Amino acid sequence: MVGMSVLRSAAAFAARLSPLKSGNNAANLLSRAIPRTDKVAVRWCHGKKMFVIKPTDFYDRRFLRLLQFYILLTGIPVAVIVTCVNVFVGEAELVEAPEDYEPEHWEYYKHPITRWITWAFYDSPVKDYEKMMAAIQIEKEKADMRLTQLEVRRQMRSKGDGPWFQVETLNKELIDYSHKSNPDN
Amino acid sequence: MPTDYDKGAYPEPPRQTPVVDKQTALPNPALILSKLFYYSVDLPVTTFRDVVDSIRSKNRPVYFHQKFRRVPDLTECHHGDYLCYYEAEMQWRRDYKVDQEIVKVVQERMRACHQREGSSYQQNCANEIQQFTEVTHNYQSRYGDLGAYASGRKCLMKQKERMIAAQAQTA
Repeated sequence: MVGMSVLRSAAAFAARLSPLKSGNNAANLLSRAIPRTDKVAVRWCHGKKMFVIKPTDFYDRRFLRLLQFYILLTGIPVAVIVTCVNVFVGEAELVEAPEDYEPEHWEYYKHPITRWITWAFYDSPVKDYEKMMAAIQIEKEKADMRLTQLEVRRQMRSKGDGPWFQVETLNKELIDYSHKSNPDN
Repeated sequence: MPTDYDKGAYPEPPRQTPVVDKQTALPNPALILSKLFYYSVDLPVTTFRDVVDSIRSKNRPVYFHQKFRRVPDLTECHHGDYLCYYEAEMQWRRDYKVDQEIVKVVQERMRACHQREGSSYQQNCANEIQQFTEVTHNYQSRYGDLGAYASGRKCLMKQKERMIAAQAQTA
């Protein structure tokens, strides 16, 4: 058995080495195919298809895809709006204010989007100033009133002629002097 | 186009274009490159800007500088008049910002002069350098170490210290 396989492999090797000899064709040689390396059709199109084994990148690619989607969902409209504003409504020009004209508080800014934000959301700085002044006035009045109240307390306590710190005494008509009315009682 | 910068404060250096004295029949590569740059970069950019400006010039907004009225200073306020204190403080803060911008402008002029003159800046820019040192010394003496929580009151106290020191020095 072993001898048979050795013979067979030797014959195949010999046929491979010298393929043109008459006894060495595939059909009649011991049912062992010889690799005919000189007559193979070699095409260099896609190469040999390999099954590459690597860890999954599905989750990574899904994350990046979703990231891209959610960023561009608002990113693209914002970019389009800002470009249109910059192209069609340009930045403001600095001019001297006319004598009798009081500019609105948003007319002190250059970029149209800043102007819009100040117009839509913010109070004018004059109004903020006045609000702060009103708060200071209220606190000042409260502080002054507290100080005067302390002073008034002090005066009324010491002099005793004011309405505060009066202690209610008993009604004199309720006192019964009958047991002391005569010297002999 | 936006308004040009102040030519008096930032003078242009004298032009040093050499007289063209062509002695060969070969084309000048510098000329070729400059024309190439002009047609490929300068002209498209300028036409784009002109187009955009013509679209923009129809509804062009304007903006102004805000002018503030002067109010009584901290020294002119009665004791306990918190409204006067507030107005004086706001005015002092606006003046602080203006002074910072003044220092920046003077510094920018000195740097521009330095850039223009090259290695001989110390003698050619003496005016700008002197102005800059003067302005920065004044700024330092007035607002110098007040810190982040600076206020008009602290600045006034610093001025008082300066006046005391000056008097002690002269006496």
